[in-house]
Amino acid sequence: MSLDYVKFSNGFEKFMPKEYRDMVEHGPFGRKVTVSQMGSFKEVLEEHPMCAGCAMTLFIRLAMIAFPNPEDTITVGTAGCGRLAISQAAIPFVYGNYGDQNGVASGLSRGLRLRFGDKPKDVVVMAGDGGTADIGLQQVLHSWFRKERFTTIMLDNEVYGNTGGQESGMTNKGAVLKMAPLGKKFEKMDMVQLAKVAGCAYVATVVPNNPRRVESVIKKAVLVAREIGPSYIQAYTSCNIEYAIPTDKVMEDAKAVENDRYQFMEYVSEEAKQYLTERYGYKEFLAKQAAPAASISGKA
Amino acid sequence: MYLVADINVEICAAKNCKLCTQYCPEANTILYSDELGKDKGFKYGSAYVAVDRCKGCAQCVWVCDNMAKNHAIKMIMIDQLPQAALTENIMYGEKSTTAVLTSPVIG
Ligand SMILES: Cc1ncc(C[n+]2csc(CCOP(=O)(O)OP(=O)(O)O)c2C)c(N)n1
Ligand code: SF4
Ligand code: SF4
Ligand code: SF4
Repeated sequence: MSLDYVKFSNGFEKFMPKEYRDMVEHGPFGRKVTVSQMGSFKEVLEEHPMCAGCAMTLFIRLAMIAFPNPEDTITVGTAGCGRLAISQAAIPFVYGNYGDQNGVASGLSRGLRLRFGDKPKDVVVMAGDGGTADIGLQQVLHSWFRKERFTTIMLDNEVYGNTGGQESGMTNKGAVLKMAPLGKKFEKMDMVQLAKVAGCAYVATVVPNNPRRVESVIKKAVLVAREIGPSYIQAYTSCNIEYAIPTDKVMEDAKAVENDRYQFMEYVSEEAKQYLTERYGYKEFLAKQAAPAASISGKA
Repeated sequence: MYLVADINVEICAAKNCKLCTQYCPEANTILYSDELGKDKGFKYGSAYVAVDRCKGCAQCVWVCDNMAKNHAIKMIMIDQLPQAALTENIMYGEKSTTAVLTSPVIG
């Protein structure tokens, strides 16, 4: 929970594995790294058992690069595929019972504020669609109603992937899965709308086939949660196993789903816009300048 | 034996787009070296694969073929690669990495 916790104790350097040394010396801690620098610095995510070609894996990889202060971040997760990778990173990870992640994160973020005051310590929940919209829904919604200041990220693969293919509230209507052989009878839940109604200050949907956008929304969500209020990101992270997507077609599928039900959407409260602009120098929320007269008359 | 991704340095270095790195699901797997291809006159280096971390999904092949439109990556049986990068032989630098290539299969 600070840069110091990853550093070597004097005399121990030579006993540390190469991966660890690389991470301390060439990792993202204490400096800014971006998606466009990927492949030239050591990432904090290590090897893990998630399936080959899983889009959720890619999303988690990008998310960890996007965290504004990885050395001051704690991730919280729950049962489901994502924790298999999230737990294999040099970022402290808290794992609770299935569905209690937003309750755990509420206590954690309050405790960190008591202990560290104004020094930002970011709490980021990453959990599946089952964990977020079904089993954990009550705790998720109440954390938003209570305006708990941390980020909730739904890894939406539209299925219970880790347990072999049951439908979730986020499964698309009509989808046939191994353990939903008759097809889902109900609509996909509108968690984005629920997040807005429940008072999130920043809400966005994203797909991993746009790495820079993933980076951008996660940064904003984490920064907004520091002071303004809860933030929610809903990411489409396909399960190529349960939806039988050939691994080399995962990005094609992401594009198709983006066009169908995952168009980019971003909601930023007025207070959050002002905060991002004034505190962190964001320019995108400044009022657009009035169009010059020439273009109004069509002679741009 | 199993398939891993293999990047053709000459084809990649001619384009130098760094896209595949951003789409590989595995961290620390497709890396970038400013040095690769310099001996052949290319200025900006090439991507390469740490084959011990590659899970063989071929997403990078799709990205290079369809997004970069460069066709620099092929899937190849690991024992058919005379030389490849392994994590233990990769050095990180300020802005790029370098790798000493060795036989990826023992014996
Ligand atoms: C209380 C409890 N009930 C059931 C389970 C079994 N379980 C583990 S993962 C999982 C489903 C995960 O689905 P989702 O949250 O959508 O995540 P995914 O695996 O799809 O990423 C279930 C039901 C559990 N671990 N704990
Ligand atoms: S089961 Fe699906 S979501 Fe889980 S790791 Fe495999 S591909 Fe990813
Ligand atoms: S996508 Fe192709 S051309 Fe671009 S860096 Fe990767 S291998 Fe090279
Ligand atoms: S085959 Fe998959 S795991 Fe291997 S380098 Fe390509 S994208 Fe990465």
